[in-house]
Amino acid sequence: MGAETIREWQEELDKNVRRLRNLQTLVTRPVEPRVGQTPREEIYKTNKSRLYRYASSRRYRTPVLFVPNLGISRPYIFDLLPGASFIEHMTREGFDFYLLDWGVFGPEDNDLTVEHCVTKILPRMAQKVLQSSDARELSVLGYCMGAPMSASFIATHPEVPVKNYIDLAGPVDFSKVGVFGLWLKKEYFNVDRVVDTLGSIPADLVKAGFKLVKPTMDLSMSLNLWWNLWNDNYVEGFQALNRWANEYVAFPGEFFRQWVRDFYQENKLYRGELVMGGRPVRLENITCPVYVVGAKEDYIAPPACVRALIDLVGSRDKEYVELPGGHISLIAGRGAARHCWPKVSGWLARH
Amino acid sequence: METTPNQLFEMWRKQVEESAQVWTRLLSPERPAATPPDPTVFWRPVLDQGLQTWAKLFAQTPATPDLLAQWKQFLDQWIEAWSKILGQTMGTEQFAKLMGQSFDQFLAALGPLRKAAEQQTEQALQALGLPSRSQVTAVAKQIVELEERLERLEDRIDAVLRRFGKEPQ
Repeated sequence: MGAETIREWQEELDKNVRRLRNLQTLVTRPVEPRVGQTPREEIYKTNKSRLYRYASSRRYRTPVLFVPNLGISRPYIFDLLPGASFIEHMTREGFDFYLLDWGVFGPEDNDLTVEHCVTKILPRMAQKVLQSSDARELSVLGYCMGAPMSASFIATHPEVPVKNYIDLAGPVDFSKVGVFGLWLKKEYFNVDRVVDTLGSIPADLVKAGFKLVKPTMDLSMSLNLWWNLWNDNYVEGFQALNRWANEYVAFPGEFFRQWVRDFYQENKLYRGELVMGGRPVRLENITCPVYVVGAKEDYIAPPACVRALIDLVGSRDKEYVELPGGHISLIAGRGAARHCWPKVSGWLARH
Repeated sequence: METTPNQLFEMWRKQVEESAQVWTRLLSPERPAATPPDPTVFWRPVLDQGLQTWAKLFAQTPATPDLLAQWKQFLDQWIEAWSKILGQTMGTEQFAKLMGQSFDQFLAALGPLRKAAEQQTEQALQALGLPSRSQVTAVAKQIVELEERLERLEDRIDAVLRRFGKEPQ
């Protein structure tokens, strides 16, 4: 055995000692990871929802309203850790950044609908953003289900001065929405029965659905954890991500009913049959510059269902890009920092 | 020495193939799908990779920690192959139908149980002079509605202020 081989085995042995040390810490003294560290200020709240403004140099005057998903998970994934945060990136680039945190809803909110969010909450949030930033226009950035919701809002509220709109992994054509679309088909999934029986969709049920979509996820995550357990930075990132990945959020009953029926089962948004607040939701009414980002390996909102928005909006300035990553890794993690964040901030800076 | 990795992988291949067939049979009880999932499409590259890894493992003298990285790579591919098999199976109409039926049965069983439990709890709390869950929820709902009415009022005041050329605070 050569000296080089002995050195390599010594290094491996060192790694294993560090692995065991970190494993012991994880098991015996687990620490709550400090997520969401970018300085922010709550500027408005309504019921469970909050609007946060993040500190920035405000190099760009047009504020950005970020609309993520309602239910499923908490929005601190967008500001997970310093150096691994989409929000930190945007504020560092000089955007006046606002996050709409829909909040965690309880049984008292079971009557909340998608329509209420689109016609009441979103217009108010946009108004508060304009007031707070003292701007005449705002950009709207929708992620996941926040994208079709914000698109519906922009299409039905021409009086709100939206300068730009970005759809990040937000499904629009629900006939191409992949495995969830199949499972939620009318023939197999009786949404009325589910909501009438359960009232709201509990977090555990949401968790079961998402775990089932990728059943090997926990196994590969555990394997990767063991492999990288010697690396303190990896362990810190893992703890934060693991906390987020296991903190599921329930859906208010009526919201879920409308979301599944109108969007998944009847594809009303894409077909132009959606009506909200008495106004038809016509995506061709969106005429501002539009940027649509799909993720190549996204099995929750596959690129085809995201891309569909491009053909529906009335904008002349519109662009679609498909980036590496999945539904989450498109916007969170090392890959996102390399591929997605600079594209989004770059496009906004140019507009 | 050369036959050992081959034998090991022959055993592993057989196990993957049989498991995949069991899955396929389990999820299509009535009739086989027109194009049943073909596990060989997935395990073949993994198997080849594994064979190479094992061949290297046995050929290297002395063994280096690099073998562990190769082993990790093999496990990753093995998980990915299973992920694809499961993904393909779960992406079938049969699976969606089976899942829908199971969920319906679950709801049918849960509904009456839940109702009975709620009624009993409500009666017990009433007997103790305590508010029930539905009463507390009703109060919370009223607060939410009240807040919503205040918001609407605020919106109207803002609109009036704007009409008079004043910016709302």
